[in-house]
Amino acid sequence: MPRKSGINKVLILGSGPIQIGQACEFDYSGTQACKALMNAGLEVILVNSNPATIMTDPELASRVYIEPLKVEFVQKILEKEKPDAIIPTLGGQTALNLGLELESSGVLDRLGIKMLGANQDTIRKAEDREEFRKILDKIGAKYPSSEMVKTYEQGVSVGKQFGFPIILRPNYTLGGGGGGIAYSAEEYEQKLVQALHESPTSEVLVEESILGWKEYELEVMRDCEGTFVVICSIENIDPCGVHTGDSITVAPQQTLSDPEYQLMRLEAKQIIEEVGVETGGANVQFAVNPKNGERVVIEMNPRVSRSSALASKATGFPIAKIAALLAIGYTLDEIKNDITGTTPSCYEPALDYVVTKIPRFAFEKFQGSKDLLSTQMKSVGEVMSIGRTFKESFMKALLSMEGDPRGFKPVLLDESKIVYPNSQRMHHLFQAIRQGHSLDSLYRKTFIDMWFLNQFQEMVNVESELVNQGGTLSKELLLKAKRTGFSDAWIATLQGVFQKEVREFRRENDLRPRFFQVDTCAGEFQSDTPYFYSTYWSLPEPLKSDSNTVILLGSGPNRIGQGIEFDYSCVRSVRKLKDLGFRVVMVNSNPETVSTDYDTSDELFFEPLTEEHVGEILHFLQPKGFISQVGGQTPILLAPSLIKAGFKMLGSSMEAMDLAEDRAQFIDICRQLDFKIPKSGMASDLSEAQEIIKSVPFPILCRPSYVLGGRRMEIVENESELESYFKRHHEYISSSHPCLIDQFLERALEVDIDLVRGPNWSVVGGIIEHIEAAGVHSGDSMGVLPPQRLKDATSVKIEEMAKRLADKMNILGFLNLQLAVKDDEVFMIEANPRSSRSVPFIAKAGGVPLVDLGVMGIMGAKAEDVKPEAYNWKDLKSVCVKGVVFPFKKFAESDSLLGPEMKSTGESMGRADSYGEALLKALVSSQVNLPSEGRVFLSLRDKDKENLLPQIELLNKMGYSLMGTLGTAEFLIQKGIECEAVKKVAEGRPNCVDRIRSGDVGFVINTTSGREAVEASFSIRRSCIDFSVPCITESDAAIEVISALNSNGKSGYSVAPL
Amino acid sequence: MAGYLVLESGEVFQGNWRGGEPKAGEVVFNTSHSGYEEIATDPSYHNQIMVMTTSQLGNYGVDESFWESKKLHITGFVALEIQSDAFSGWKGRLDQFQIPSMDQVDTRSLVLTLREKGTVWGALVEESDEESARKAAKTLIVEKKQEDLDWAYATTCSDAYVIKGEVDSGPRVAVMDFGCKTNILRELQKRCKEVKVFPSRATADQIKEYDPQGILLSNGPGNPEDVKQAQETIRNLLGWRTIFGICMGHQLLCLSMGGKTFRLKFGHRGSNHPIKDDLLKTIYITSQNHGYAVESGSLPEHVEETHFNLNDNTLAGINSDKNKCFSVQFHPESHPGPRESELLFDHFIKRVL
Repeated sequence: MPRKSGINKVLILGSGPIQIGQACEFDYSGTQACKALMNAGLEVILVNSNPATIMTDPELASRVYIEPLKVEFVQKILEKEKPDAIIPTLGGQTALNLGLELESSGVLDRLGIKMLGANQDTIRKAEDREEFRKILDKIGAKYPSSEMVKTYEQGVSVGKQFGFPIILRPNYTLGGGGGGIAYSAEEYEQKLVQALHESPTSEVLVEESILGWKEYELEVMRDCEGTFVVICSIENIDPCGVHTGDSITVAPQQTLSDPEYQLMRLEAKQIIEEVGVETGGANVQFAVNPKNGERVVIEMNPRVSRSSALASKATGFPIAKIAALLAIGYTLDEIKNDITGTTPSCYEPALDYVVTKIPRFAFEKFQGSKDLLSTQMKSVGEVMSIGRTFKESFMKALLSMEGDPRGFKPVLLDESKIVYPNSQRMHHLFQAIRQGHSLDSLYRKTFIDMWFLNQFQEMVNVESELVNQGGTLSKELLLKAKRTGFSDAWIATLQGVFQKEVREFRRENDLRPRFFQVDTCAGEFQSDTPYFYSTYWSLPEPLKSDSNTVILLGSGPNRIGQGIEFDYSCVRSVRKLKDLGFRVVMVNSNPETVSTDYDTSDELFFEPLTEEHVGEILHFLQPKGFISQVGGQTPILLAPSLIKAGFKMLGSSMEAMDLAEDRAQFIDICRQLDFKIPKSGMASDLSEAQEIIKSVPFPILCRPSYVLGGRRMEIVENESELESYFKRHHEYISSSHPCLIDQFLERALEVDIDLVRGPNWSVVGGIIEHIEAAGVHSGDSMGVLPPQRLKDATSVKIEEMAKRLADKMNILGFLNLQLAVKDDEVFMIEANPRSSRSVPFIAKAGGVPLVDLGVMGIMGAKAEDVKPEAYNWKDLKSVCVKGVVFPFKKFAESDSLLGPEMKSTGESMGRADSYGEALLKALVSSQVNLPSEGRVFLSLRDKDKENLLPQIELLNKMGYSLMGTLGTAEFLIQKGIECEAVKKVAEGRPNCVDRIRSGDVGFVINTTSGREAVEASFSIRRSCIDFSVPCITESDAAIEVISALNSNGKSGYSVAPL
Repeated sequence: MAGYLVLESGEVFQGNWRGGEPKAGEVVFNTSHSGYEEIATDPSYHNQIMVMTTSQLGNYGVDESFWESKKLHITGFVALEIQSDAFSGWKGRLDQFQIPSMDQVDTRSLVLTLREKGTVWGALVEESDEESARKAAKTLIVEKKQEDLDWAYATTCSDAYVIKGEVDSGPRVAVMDFGCKTNILRELQKRCKEVKVFPSRATADQIKEYDPQGILLSNGPGNPEDVKQAQETIRNLLGWRTIFGICMGHQLLCLSMGGKTFRLKFGHRGSNHPIKDDLLKTIYITSQNHGYAVESGSLPEHVEETHFNLNDNTLAGINSDKNKCFSVQFHPESHPGPRESELLFDHFIKRVL
């Protein structure tokens, strides 16, 4: 095969920490590409700063660098490795932008390194909107009227010219960052300032509104010979106005006629040719005016994208893998279609099913942010589902969201929730249809294509039939309901019977799903791909039974707190189980993941992770058992019902899991083992609370029971705050829902430990020491391995406690613990009997193959075979720091203050010989760019002032100039440190926020507590987010960061492979 | 009462009868995502019961401007779901031509059956039970099989007619209509001064009398071996003027030069077939619809094999400089399907002028 000559060693750029708009789909594409290129015999070098990825597993590439994705670092790697080429098209916008910067820096030329997939010229033509418009003009394609705005004044006049609503799109940003729709002049001017700031080139495309037009996306590929194929057409149910990443989408497109579709296809081809995408994948977005079919081009990405991952899963066509092979010179007709095994990759998949994607949001995590969707992406994850019809597929997608097991959430109809796009829109739309609103009126409110509305109407009609036949189940109607995708739970609700009755009736009548294959060709060719989905549009097949089959339950849609880390554990587990000789079946609903790549496991079932759907798979396969320890909380929650249904859970027993999950049992077992735990109590009203504080000293942590994710959790420091807490939250607290009160270990050192255990052995993977003090959610705090402040003796004690607890609970598999250390005393805080968020970090930092060992533990391997003594996490070459990435920028009005509720979307890893360098690298990778000179603004609460004094002196010595709020400045001046005093916002103008907004401040340290102080200083933190000024909100973190700045000085950074 | 699709090979698929009159035909499947109206009006689907692999049909309604002939030619329409009368005009369109239609059919299992067994005869009937469905189907199939095998003759025009072209400097082209799709004529119109369409049994003399600069042999239904007279006509035109054959036209051209055709197990019907074109040195995705193909290696030496279907490497096009002809098995006129191969029409005109 004619591979490009002279390309023997390539470097792939990854996409860095998970953030909104750039999630684990790029781990999927990078992993696929690595595998493909390694198979093709190339030496592959990988750079990514995200340790939670599968692609950064040392086995996947020739060498893996976990280093910041910045020119300064990558340049060093290039000099060291001297690859023949780099591929910047597989790591999202981050990699593409980095590729451009590397080319501009001259390093590629200097070292004679080629850029594959896309070159500078191609990227500019596609990404620079003015250049792109020239191309569209040339081929006669239309686009919305727009103007490139470079200054505020110009923007204002363009706004007047176009009228409102109007769309703002900053140049070269990710996920539409900084953009949006403005409905009024006032809103427009405000957004314009922000958008100009967001664009690295200070350019904003101001665009005439095409709100309400139908939106489409074509995923395409092209090889070096010019052969062009469309892999998948995607139609957005939400019309233009909602970012495509936030839209509910279907594939293939459903409502365009063949001429409409073919002209779009042809235009996509012309665009790709003209932009000069020589090889690889790309996508083009279009809008179609529903009134007259007029078509405009919205944008194109000359790279593998979020939707390519979706398109790959939707069709079975491995876009990233093929893109990588095309990049090194293969042509589409030379590469075999993996799925059929006989036909070439040069074809367009034909689908005999419908795919639906629904995004998952996290608005509830960001108080103050409004649940409104616009051109800036806000979703944190997504689900995909496959059904034979749109209705079946859509319902399965709703069920995959892991919300209400009925799929539909009963809502009180709020028409504004229909008119203004938001995360709950579909539920309100259905409610409106149920209540008899005409489809015409709903069309006028939403501009959702009538075909989709009609499908919804048909679903509601089936609901009505079920309601009308309440109480009496009929086979015919039940089949119809199942074919509509309704869950047993929803059918039961509508018919007024128990879910169990529906299930039993269904089974008596053999109404069970058929598992059909995803074969890329609608059945035209024989195919052996082990990729399946369920449907009720056929008859069930005879059951399989294989005592060697193990079912692995995945983690479902990404959400804050449960993301790529669990996919890492899943994929590693699959690999290990295969090694051990088992046949592994993966079940998951998240299209962004590596675990849902059809060649990861022996069989893939792309199904909702619900009791019903997983139960049917288990019933059909009759396996040895299922594993629920590696997919996060989702499979843990499913386990009890699956066990009750008679299936076997492998590894730790349900009883062992309950010991950790059930607070009372956990406290009990800690007492038995003589572990200290924070003092606690439960109060159903203020007077009971006042009783409890006699034994639980302040500060205390208060939270109502039965609330999720740490909501309304507050740290209460004194009696008056306690009164205030009960006053504000009394409606959530009662004798049936008491308030949980825990002793808060102020300024305690928090650590995470991950351990795996088998029947007669255990191995500790490592201890991560949190950089922030207790009180910040472990997912949000930075961490370091090996611990820096923890005494060796304490560290040993913690390992012993972990092992004793694991033994006592009889853990088989994983155990994650969180502990706090205060005054050399160790407190047990929490136990998770499963693979945890920290596992990939610990495995990479400590070097212990934790997942592999965990799987051996689950499968009951004995010490003699495992040889646990061979693993010692303390044999370390370097220090690793975990950095965190937050999405505050996407949520206007949200506060960046950290607390017990997790808010981060992703993590980075900084690796170096010294702690300081590792910490700074982690910060750089998390987009926290601390300048080495300039002005630092300080606003500190009283109790931190003394604490931080030595560090502030250090800052001063390092040459930073200091600025503080009146109180902080006064304190520093008293101590003899020069500090400029500025006003707080409430004190008039110009104030500190004005100074931050004017770009006058290099970074900010703002510590605060107490509700009033928090509210008063909100605008400081918010302006930092809006203007990308680093803002440290926690004193321990500030101490460590300043020390790191000081120790690393200006000595620069080194880079090293894993 | 329910709908039944009874296959001659013995399988019966039950569904929801949507209307029309029971009929028999060859049961074939098509994998195009869109273009149901173009497919239904394509004369090449004469006598065929169409099973669509795409699950929901009728989504975007109907539009007479999409028609590829003056009527619906399919003899039955089977899908997982056909959109309601109230929503889409598609069911009404099928009814208008008494085409039997059936939905709520497990079309994937049906397609897998057709793939295994190959194209089979079958009938769409509405009956009370499977037993009576089998009986009714058998009668219909037997009757249907007695019809004349020259299906091209059944779909061609009755008399020759002339269409004015749009390009004064363009050539005059004769079209032999074996069941010609309208879009072939539209593509010619866009490039020619005049087009004259001849019935399938026209003689070489009749065509020579018109004195065209080029001749296009159209697509059409059925087995090319049963279209006997046209082979003779074409043989007499070889080397006289440039000939361009499409689908049936390609098969007849090859037969007339001594090539052999054979029946494909289940045909190629869809909008996603990759073609390697050695004539124009490119690869493109094409629209295909054929149950027969020309055997590779069966043609005389002066005929080059120029096009191949990359899915199964079947021969999909030839060229002979000696006989001044070239032809392709697929549909450069698309409708439905990708439009990249329409450059073959440009190639034709270039060779004609």
